[in-house]
Amino acid sequence: MSDPRNPVVLFIGQPNCGKSTLFNAIAGHKVQTANFPGSTVQHSHSRVTIAGRIVDIIDLPGTYSLNPSDPAEKVALSHLFQEKPDVLINVVDASLLGRSLELTLELLEMEVPTVVALNMLDLAERKGISTDPGKLQAALGVPVVPTIAAHGRGIKELVEAALAVLDAPARPPRLRWSRAVEEKIAELADRLPEDLSVVANKRFTAVRMIESGPTFCVDFLREIHPGLRDTLDEIRTKLEAGRGLPAYEVMAAERHHRSMKIFEETSTVRRRARRPWSERLDDVLMHPVLGYVVLFGVFLAFFFVIFKAGAPLEGVFLKPFESARSALGARLGQSLWGYLADGLLQGIGGGIAIVLPYFIPLLVMMALLEDAGYLARAGFLLDTFMHRLGLHGKSVSPFVLGFGCNVPAIAATRILESRRDRILTSLLIPFIPCSARTTIILALVGFYLGPLWALGFYVANLLLIAVLSRVLSLFFPSDSPGLLLEIPALKIPTPKSIAYKVYFQLKAFVRLAWPLLIGGSIVLSALQYFRWDKALNVVLGPLVAGLLGLPRELGVTLVFGFLRKELSLVMMLQALGTSFQDLGRMITREQMIVFTVFVSLFIPCLSTLAMLWKESGRKVALLSAGLSITVAIALSVLVRMIV
Amino acid sequence: MTPLDKTVSGQKVRIVDIAGGEAVRRRLFALGFQPGDMIESGSRGIWGGPVVLRNLRTGVSVAVGRGIARKILVASGHE
Repeated sequence: MSDPRNPVVLFIGQPNCGKSTLFNAIAGHKVQTANFPGSTVQHSHSRVTIAGRIVDIIDLPGTYSLNPSDPAEKVALSHLFQEKPDVLINVVDASLLGRSLELTLELLEMEVPTVVALNMLDLAERKGISTDPGKLQAALGVPVVPTIAAHGRGIKELVEAALAVLDAPARPPRLRWSRAVEEKIAELADRLPEDLSVVANKRFTAVRMIESGPTFCVDFLREIHPGLRDTLDEIRTKLEAGRGLPAYEVMAAERHHRSMKIFEETSTVRRRARRPWSERLDDVLMHPVLGYVVLFGVFLAFFFVIFKAGAPLEGVFLKPFESARSALGARLGQSLWGYLADGLLQGIGGGIAIVLPYFIPLLVMMALLEDAGYLARAGFLLDTFMHRLGLHGKSVSPFVLGFGCNVPAIAATRILESRRDRILTSLLIPFIPCSARTTIILALVGFYLGPLWALGFYVANLLLIAVLSRVLSLFFPSDSPGLLLEIPALKIPTPKSIAYKVYFQLKAFVRLAWPLLIGGSIVLSALQYFRWDKALNVVLGPLVAGLLGLPRELGVTLVFGFLRKELSLVMMLQALGTSFQDLGRMITREQMIVFTVFVSLFIPCLSTLAMLWKESGRKVALLSAGLSITVAIALSVLVRMIV
Repeated sequence: MTPLDKTVSGQKVRIVDIAGGEAVRRRLFALGFQPGDMIESGSRGIWGGPVVLRNLRTGVSVAVGRGIARKILVASGHE
């Protein structure tokens, strides 16, 4: 909860309306954004000083309505109701105003001072939509500020408007429903028990109760106030009798038509001679044949760009570290200090020369795909294949995120409506080669055996996921009605947003992963100096040397791979006492492949496992670990027999 | 009345009814699609893949699985 002394400003809006971009512009880049509905799945807090005042600002996951249907939306609602915001900033997508206003109308009923940010005006312009902010302000009765968050336009005005509302809080006017509905709402509000703790106000609570689905919360309410259940049923029945529709549909339809009306009264839509480029491009991207050609091309390009950019850099960066190591080795010799300094250099060098050359291009490519809005298209194209694997297209986005890092990918499963889909997707994500594993695949298999081998490795890895999904879905019968995914308009990614995204991830790498790499290398050096690594290697010998046919010295590096997958690679050189260039002389091609297969799969890394535990519980985390170990051993042995 | 999956890409139709269960109806409402809305039937995935529909009034596009598309009943705009 926030400090009660500071005013709380809460950002809320529908998915992909640019909320997080706006929030970042004010809070100073703390939230990940993407052109995909549901890229923010957790709320984020920030304390900022604006014009000398301390304000707590909170960004919530996007929600289409106040009737949640997935966990990300539930997060949004529970915070909306608990944080007791002083000001709501409702971000609406001007290019989809008719739909966006439906949430606005729901929010206004909370009667909390509100400012509407009319965002994505550039996109609306492209679609030929122009909205008069003055008219919209008059229709809604709350301040409306035009913004283009991606280009930083209107931010200052928005902050000023929010502060002005904070100084002179004004309750939004009540927008009345049709008489028949308004009467029923008032009746229920009047008949709410006095001791019932209402959210926002009685009228809002009444509306929420009439509209709410069969959720636990309502059942619970009904249990503790048995009379209330009868009242609610009576009122719903009256509403239903009037229109011949279920009560929630009566409400939804009325709200829908009112937003459309406000949209049409405040905006003009120009007929365009030519459809905008984004729609014409979509004809190709979502074409039954061309779409898949493009998808395949994107996948290949993704892979080759990372490899083509990474491999030469890797060679260049490694040299100075190798010469520094030999110089140091000559000076310090076999002393403990010599060992530790060598470990330190290995750790630093491994981070700079082996990891970053592949990591940065991968981040750039991911950011481009996300911001352009390609993930939703990929979800559309792959839905039919995902169905055959027991999932559907909405899981594509978490999967693709998994190529960057499995941890946010598992968090992203919150956009899936059914628990079964969330668990299945979370169990599969750890098999996706994340950036750490891509680094190993490219640096080891790609660098030594050639890019085609690495690509083959990737494809085999994807096939493995498909097979696993098919097998796992046998144990989890499907309960999902199918895909229901918004396709956001295509956008040209802004260099600023790409740069911030890459910076954001790099910062996390330098802060969290690199110290682990360096620490791990130094610990290994110490182990080697005191010859304790031998003991570990002996224990792991039957697995490493016996089953996998790898040099016994690699046993200890596998243990460290649990912390960070790259660590196994960086430490491998150290454990074998060789440099990257000479690695080919120490182990065979077959061993490289077996090592890569095993390290990639053998267990989700520590952070991934922790995330799984947090999101889906201990059982799923343990199941995932067991599954990975089994699959890794089975496949490694299989690969060893074939190659 | 025809189910949406029987329309051809580019056809402009009006949603008459959504025959799905409450969860699907609620989700479609939340995404801004309700009976009475004019929509354009768009791309469809191969091999029984999803159908894209675009709301002509709000401009929202969504992809729905074929199972859901079968339950969205539409009619030509004049009916």
